Amino acid sequence: MASTALRPALRQALAASTLSRTFTTAALPAFRSQSLLARQSPLALQRAAFQTSSKRAILPPLPQVMEGTVNDAARVPDPEPSHGSYHWTMERMVGLSLVPLTIAPFAAGSLNPVLDGAFISLLIIHSYVGFQSCITDYFPKWRVPRWRKFFDWANFVMVGIVGWGWYEFETNDVGLTEGIRRVWKAGSKVDVTA
Amino acid sequence: MLSQRIAQQTLRRLALQNPAARFVAPAALASRNALVNQRRLAATTSSMQENQPNTEILAKQRLARPVSPHLSIYRPQITWYGSIINRITGSLMSGTFYLFGAAYLAAPVFGWHLETATIAAAFASWPVILQFLTKVVFGWQFTYHTFNGVRHLMWDTASGITNKAVNQTGWFVMGLSTVSAVALALL
Amino acid sequence: MALRLATRRLALAQQAPKVFRRGMATPTASDTLAHTKGEPLSTISEATSASRAPIPPSKTTTIKEPETDPQAKIKTFHIYRWNPDEPTSKPKMQSYTLDLNKTGPMMLDALIRIKNEVDPTLTFRRSCREGICGSCAMNIDGVNTLACLCRIPTETAKESRIYPLPHTYVVKDLVPDLTQFYKQYKSIKPYLQRDTPPPDGRENRQSKADRRKLDGLYECILCACCSTSCPSYWWNSEEYLGPAVLLQSYRWIADSRDEKTAARKDALNNSMSLYRCHTILNCSRTCPKGLNPALAIAEIKKSMAFSS
Repeated sequence: MASTALRPALRQALAASTLSRTFTTAALPAFRSQSLLARQSPLALQRAAFQTSSKRAILPPLPQVMEGTVNDAARVPDPEPSHGSYHWTMERMVGLSLVPLTIAPFAAGSLNPVLDGAFISLLIIHSYVGFQSCITDYFPKWRVPRWRKFFDWANFVMVGIVGWGWYEFETNDVGLTEGIRRVWKAGSKVDVTA
Repeated sequence: MLSQRIAQQTLRRLALQNPAARFVAPAALASRNALVNQRRLAATTSSMQENQPNTEILAKQRLARPVSPHLSIYRPQITWYGSIINRITGSLMSGTFYLFGAAYLAAPVFGWHLETATIAAAFASWPVILQFLTKVVFGWQFTYHTFNGVRHLMWDTASGITNKAVNQTGWFVMGLSTVSAVALALL
Repeated sequence: MALRLATRRLALAQQAPKVFRRGMATPTASDTLAHTKGEPLSTISEATSASRAPIPPSKTTTIKEPETDPQAKIKTFHIYRWNPDEPTSKPKMQSYTLDLNKTGPMMLDALIRIKNEVDPTLTFRRSCREGICGSCAMNIDGVNTLACLCRIPTETAKESRIYPLPHTYVVKDLVPDLTQFYKQYKSIKPYLQRDTPPPDGRENRQSKADRRKLDGLYECILCACCSTSCPSYWWNSEEYLGPAVLLQSYRWIADSRDEKTAARKDALNNSMSLYRCHTILNCSRTCPKGLNPALAIAEIKKSMAFSS
């Protein structure tokens, strides 16, 4: 999923599909007059690369359009601590609690099932938050609203699927840390059954 | 010719001024009205409406503006290279983690064998050099992301954020993760 | 230009008094008008791409300094050029060579010399030439800095590359459009907000320790070097405030005299405004004034960690 997030071809396709819509739905008269211009100009040019290497177009920006007048302040969003400070703190707490759980297997050989389960749960939350921040960075809501919604939901759904999958692994197999240890040492002459 | 022109300009400027204003000003000052009515005709007044005819040219011009180059021209520095590597390693590891979790769930349906013993046996049959390289690649992702994560947690306490410290810890983490990845691969 | 030269020569020939001669050398109002009248702005009516790559320097000609002497230290400068009067043309890299012996030590000196002596169409902002106005912020050799504070590297073998601030809309050549940056600055209410009058009715006083908290914050000149060095700001400048504006926000959050600290923090408490900062730290690395926007942002995040 992360690899698709940066695929240039996809980005270009997104740019093409959203461009016309963004302009036509703009309600302000200022936007309306500009939308004519935007539609007349060839789309191919609009999303041509802006970098010195003309082939790669990562996140090509739209033509510059001003919201309100040049003297208006940028819009201040409503406070949403659950997406702001609480989210940030949760992220750090998860990261912080992952540190001892990462060190423990090296010190103890492997983790007991409870700690292993906790490790996996935290890893899933950590991955979810990590992917979420990638999506927020590279799929701006104002730019590609539908894809953004799709990826946000996909990210959410994946937590359930992956969580279930790892639950199955934990209950039927040897567990994450022990599993990695066995595969890691499979090639060397060490007796893996020990 | 020159002096003529200057005189002309001066005359024109004088003509433009409201002659009454010069006589009114002292009186207004005395009654303090001038201070109250004083308006700053600077750009802070909302005179620049985007849909006005006088700014239409500007709005059109904006649409034609190119975006200056960024990723391709910014000098590679440990700051942003370290950061994007952190994101890439994290995404790759999480991707593998997700992929395995989902695949393990789907394995019975498709008849895949993803049990630890099977994977370990398959991995053991690889050539040793390939095993070593795979371990280094995965090990480095893990060690880099872990050590850099600790660095991030340190920054979140608002410590270690100076150019010197960032540079030093950045290269230190690079070195440490490489050494430990090789050490892990030799385990 | 030609017109200006012609009038100047005419003035000299007529032996006008010195005062007037000087007046004519600088462009008068009528001169400037005549100069810009040539290129009607209506030519840009056909809108084109907002994003085009510049033509690489290998495909453009080099404009050379007229005469060279054997002792000359010739250095090449590749400069990003784009002219709004030719909106369909791609941005290109124009190469100039200068003799460093005849040029001042700073990049701004080189730019001014190019503009004065080689190519008057080169456009860039500059004002104070001493790093206090922030006008000449640009990307020099891959790093955002002020041209007036950036020494020209003396090794002539290495060619210098000058671009406008990265990921900004280009007005012309090295002039970026910073409207969004200023709008964002305005949105954080960069002024003292108080409901209560000062106790002594005259001044809002502050202890020395409180005043010291503003050191390293108030010196910011808003040159936008840090914001445009931030990859997060490149991708999300519409909603993410960027290092410079967040540093300014912290300047008012940290001010002991301000009474709207909670409201200021509330304004940042969403997923975009502040928390698009991923501690990449390009901002502190590039600041030409030696300030630390990353630290200011970290302080904001820390102070908001357990508050709603």
